[in-house]
Amino acid sequence: MIELLDLPAFVEFRWLPADYWDLSIPVYLYLAVVAGGAYLTGASACFLRSLRDSGACCLESEIARWGFLVAVLSAAGAGLAVLSHLAVVYRAILFPIYLTNFGSWITIGTWILVILSVLAVVCLVLQLFGEGPANDEGASLFPRRILAWVGFGLLERLDRLVDRVRPPMAGFAALHVVGSLFALATIYTGFELAIVDTVPLWNEPVLVPLLFLTSGVAAGIGLTLGLTMLFEREIGPVFGGYALAVGVLSGVSLLLVGYGWSALATSDSPAAAASYVQLTDGLLYVGVWVVVVGFLAALVAGLVLGAAAVTGRLSPSIERLGGPALIGSFGLLFVGSLVLRLLFLLAAEQDPVVVVGL
Amino acid sequence: MGEQWMFYFDPNRCIGCDACSIACKQRHDRDATADDWRTVSHLKRGEYPDFEDVPISMSCMHCHDAPCEEVCPPDAILKRDEDGIVTVDRDRCIGCHYCAWACPYGAPTYGDDGLMSKCNMCLGEGPGGGHGQPPKQKAEDGGAKPSCVDNCVGEAIKAGPQSEVMDEASEAAARRFENGAYGSRVIVEPIAEDAEAAEAIRSGEDDRADAWLNG
Repeated sequence: MIELLDLPAFVEFRWLPADYWDLSIPVYLYLAVVAGGAYLTGASACFLRSLRDSGACCLESEIARWGFLVAVLSAAGAGLAVLSHLAVVYRAILFPIYLTNFGSWITIGTWILVILSVLAVVCLVLQLFGEGPANDEGASLFPRRILAWVGFGLLERLDRLVDRVRPPMAGFAALHVVGSLFALATIYTGFELAIVDTVPLWNEPVLVPLLFLTSGVAAGIGLTLGLTMLFEREIGPVFGGYALAVGVLSGVSLLLVGYGWSALATSDSPAAAASYVQLTDGLLYVGVWVVVVGFLAALVAGLVLGAAAVTGRLSPSIERLGGPALIGSFGLLFVGSLVLRLLFLLAAEQDPVVVVGL
Repeated sequence: MGEQWMFYFDPNRCIGCDACSIACKQRHDRDATADDWRTVSHLKRGEYPDFEDVPISMSCMHCHDAPCEEVCPPDAILKRDEDGIVTVDRDRCIGCHYCAWACPYGAPTYGDDGLMSKCNMCLGEGPGGGHGQPPKQKAEDGGAKPSCVDNCVGEAIKAGPQSEVMDEASEAAARRFENGAYGSRVIVEPIAEDAEAAEAIRSGEDDRADAWLNG
């Protein structure tokens, strides 16, 4: 293409029409990975709790419940977002019958999202109901209070049912390992764009999926931590470890964004140049800064406060400020990570049709 | 497996009259405001006052590798073995628009129902009309000539089995096609009047010529 365009070529730029997607697509691409990140948080918190050998009220239980709750809600949101985009919803709902092309990332992604959703629901139910949670305390148990308010003995029945089907420790471990693999498989959202090789902003089969995974998982962990922190203000070593993970993932995301940005800026492809102009001119430029600030804030807050909490060097005064600082930075990360996907779609430009004279 | 049917386009003969896109709509009884299955774009070169444009008529190219078929989740898009024409089964389409993302030519269009429709080389009529039709026949064998080809006043568009279209193409166009230009999806004649570039290429002054000729 570059050689073609170096010659005196006739060119027509062709933007991908915006109605080929709508806002539901970036939301879908985002929430699917947020669900994965939140699931990983929940599963790892369960693992940490098992090391501690304490099933009673502890921070790990709260993080696990919030994590699985965010995973369920995000996966549901992703599903609804993508369904709202489709012309024939019932065919998508009947996906085992209709989605038969297993070479398509939409088919692969549908199965990943559905299985992750099911596993997240199972994990959430196991964390919310049964004898253990009945004797536990914490803001994340609010679904129990809702069921108790609804009445009809629903809560007691659910507690009995869950106690009856609760798997042994090995079963839990297997459930979380399998679920975590599906959580990581939400990297497929990046492949959905990366296969389109005529759009220079997208056609990075390593960079785009990796960026979507790291940024989405960071946002999922950050959202879970933010919710937990609203009710549990103490920043202990466990919390610090998660904050550190968010900081590292945000840093990796920022590096990937920087690499992608420089590749786009130095590309000879005319479509890449058009995308670059879009991203440096006008409203999208604001979006670029939202992304950078979001990742940077989470990187700094996560690393500084996380490292201090893990090493026990957090003074009480800093801890008082640390909670709001982490919640705020994770909020910026959540917004920035969504805006990242919006930019990927709004700045997309196909390589133009070219005819060369002879 | 039958021979691949394909389009041929000669920008030197196109006058940009849009007869092809209008004839396409009429043949397929499509609304005047519906997205075109065949579009006439104006490719531009240079800046005023040294400005030129050239009309280009494009539709689904029925690509040999059909990227739309590869990504279609419900297998609604089919690259037919018998004639290579790419058809869509609208009874399976979910309207996800993924084919539009993958298509290098922007061929898939979407109506009010949100379902995909595109050129079927007049294998059948109307959206989805090509699905399940018998193999494409040449006009002399009783088959329907694609409406765009039939109505092109300058004979800029041709369609047929690959070997026949190649026979009608110029040596340069055929060579470029064989060497992979445009992904070997369509045969396009080079623009003849660009004397400066032509001379640079012929004289060997321009060492990018090989890259261009080889696609």
